[in-house]
Amino acid sequence: MAMLTVTRIVTLTFLSWLAVVTVSFFVLRLVPGDPVDIYINQMNINASGDVKALYRAAWGLDRSVIQQYGIWLFGFLTLNWGDSFVLGKPVLSILSAGLRWSAAIGITGFALALITGFCLGYAAALRPRRIADKLSRALAVGGQSLPAFAVGLILLWVLAVKLQIIRPFSGGNVENLLLPILLVAFFSTGSISRITRAAFNEVAAAPYMRTAVAKGHSQASALWFHGRRHAVIVLMAGIAPDLAWIVGGTAVSEVVFAVPGLSERLIAAVTTRDYPVLQSYLAIIAFWIVVGLQLAGALRRHLDPRLREAL
Amino acid sequence: MTFGNIWPKRKRAIAAFAVGISLMTAALLTPQSAWAEDKLIIGQTFLTNGLDPSEGSVGWTLVTHGIGEQLFSVSKQGKIEPNLAETAIENSDGTWTITLADNRFFSDGTPVTAKMVAAGFNRTGQTNPSARSTSGLLSFHAVDERTLKVHSEKPTKILPSILAEWAFPVYMEKDGEFIFTGPFAVESLTADKSIDLVPNPHYENAENRPELTIRRIPDGQSLALAFASGELDLAFNLPVESLSMFAGDKAKQVKSFPVAYQYMMWMNTSSDVLQDVRVRKAIDMAINREDLVAAARAGSVATGAFSQTYPFAAEKELPLDVNKANALLDEAGWIKGEDGVRRKNGQPMQLVLWAYPQRPDLITFQPVIRAALAGLGISVKTQVTESPTDIAKSGAYDLFLWAQHTAPAGDPAQFLSLFLETDAANNYARWSNAEYDAVIEQLRAEGDTDVRAELARKAQDIIATEAPVSFLVTPEWHVGVSVHLKNYEPWGSDYYIIRPDLQVSK
Repeated sequence: MAMLTVTRIVTLTFLSWLAVVTVSFFVLRLVPGDPVDIYINQMNINASGDVKALYRAAWGLDRSVIQQYGIWLFGFLTLNWGDSFVLGKPVLSILSAGLRWSAAIGITGFALALITGFCLGYAAALRPRRIADKLSRALAVGGQSLPAFAVGLILLWVLAVKLQIIRPFSGGNVENLLLPILLVAFFSTGSISRITRAAFNEVAAAPYMRTAVAKGHSQASALWFHGRRHAVIVLMAGIAPDLAWIVGGTAVSEVVFAVPGLSERLIAAVTTRDYPVLQSYLAIIAFWIVVGLQLAGALRRHLDPRLREAL
Repeated sequence: MTFGNIWPKRKRAIAAFAVGISLMTAALLTPQSAWAEDKLIIGQTFLTNGLDPSEGSVGWTLVTHGIGEQLFSVSKQGKIEPNLAETAIENSDGTWTITLADNRFFSDGTPVTAKMVAAGFNRTGQTNPSARSTSGLLSFHAVDERTLKVHSEKPTKILPSILAEWAFPVYMEKDGEFIFTGPFAVESLTADKSIDLVPNPHYENAENRPELTIRRIPDGQSLALAFASGELDLAFNLPVESLSMFAGDKAKQVKSFPVAYQYMMWMNTSSDVLQDVRVRKAIDMAINREDLVAAARAGSVATGAFSQTYPFAAEKELPLDVNKANALLDEAGWIKGEDGVRRKNGQPMQLVLWAYPQRPDLITFQPVIRAALAGLGISVKTQVTESPTDIAKSGAYDLFLWAQHTAPAGDPAQFLSLFLETDAANNYARWSNAEYDAVIEQLRAEGDTDVRAELARKAQDIIATEAPVSFLVTPEWHVGVSVHLKNYEPWGSDYYIIRPDLQVSK
């Protein structure tokens, strides 16, 4: 039974991923802009029709779109991701070099946001309308309304230019990564804390809380012990959109703080219509989101037996 | 677990968090080696992604980083000059003989020989289409230690200029590594992030050059803030809106220089309105180029297809004469109505002016040009596209603002031929003029640089008379330098940023 469930989940995950990468492949080809023309203009190449044909053949653009899709999909699944049009280097090496930077920023920033957001949400639920609650609300509103790019530049201006306490461009890796991580964390902490607060509030209103307090336990400890599991379950369901935001948040961080990550490479690839880089990037991100959602679901099922029964 | 024992755990967590924060603070406050006084840090929006000159555009980045050099290069004055080569002579059979300069070395001390140069160039030609763009495939054969014979697939009179294109840095491959001849040698490369360079010990005056780190900072605003924070000794291509930040700062200077990415406006000569040369001339005459320079907050008025730094630039100023422009439109039958709009056969004079966001200055120009043409009685609608080549090629436009490097290898023929000759691949204006085509044919067949310059000026005169394109502004770029590089002079657009003369100022 368990084996069947796992097989079904893996199949569904793969089919979801395949649907996303297939649609994105063909949508990319519909975007206006010929990669050969863009490259030739960008590099000031004195290109006649012959030279353009050479580029088309070298980049595989002389084949039908269906053939290109088949070649790319087979190559991706067998770890032959082709060469970047612009850089002329294997996409796998380009993206794997960027992945470690993006993972460092995205995962650390999100983990930081989870810890601080969860603690803040708990404190906000414990003392409504006090400082933690107000801070949580301010972060949520700020995270939704402030442009990430501007916040990043302000961080640079204050910490690097005015206070000169950090060297994000010439310092070591810790200095390179600190501000991008904080930026990613900043934009996720608010929403995580509000979800957590709401989950703890549900528990705080439950009758068994009065029983716990009547037994002599403090409100804080009673809320923690009776509410944390429920809060984690609710949070797992609620952070799915934030998984996608990690990607967007990382892109802004990478550009502003010049971190050579995956997303920063994507922006350059969009401008130049570097299809091999774009397609492989989208495939990785689709994989990340689909698997992330499944893992979150699995964790929720682990924590809540009712969900296991419903499966 | 009981309620009471959670507090010790929480205290432990707080203690661990405090230790973590302390360690991070200590790490931040510990001086980094990158700040060593004897190593300069250069900030640029781009960086080489590898060291194989046959891959993508790596050849260009190697030269601009001061790692690679070509046989010929474009001087500050825009002239083709020998570099690793001494002479280039065209033979009677159309081949060329190149003699290499004496006493030039790769960074490992190996002398530069014709055999090594030929091996590198032949490899690049086979694998990189950009090396075949101007004259087809070039074949190189070593005649002796210092002599190369070159055969080109298509005949050419300008081989030195072709060899100054970015696809042709000289290199040798040794044990899977690439070794170059430039003033700096590669110490380490972190893809997309930074490259550490040391002076090439076998290059003249090596002892005067500092060690360098080139740091890639793709966003212009971040680059400006990195320079403002003192992290960079040189910031290449600062956004114009950031320059006020450095006014009055004695430790930092901003140096502006003209670049060859000329701003222009194509006029679609196949459109109903613009097929009349009088209309095109009127539009060209009504645009105040000084207003465009003011809108972009940098640059100078264009006189023709080329920046004034080139010897083949047009010398005469392009006229600004609104009265004559009005008279030309009247003469062409476009009469101004009471509403201020010109009409012909009952049809109002309406044009669509395109630009693209990849060059923000062009977007800035749109309202300025629209206002100038409104004064003439021409109604202009502005449009923006992210795919300029598609629109320009399709011909679905009237006016198109464009930026183009018009002399990437220091020669005028490429632009004049590729963009304006009848049926040329990039003839976006769809213009055809027999006299112009004849001049370009002469230009192609001429080898003497002075005569070529004269022919290029003649071609620009014809363009000015027929106005298939309106040359508008020669833009300027801005380079920030710290006191360590206060004597650095930028030139050569983004082709020669780090040069042999990059030395620490005393």
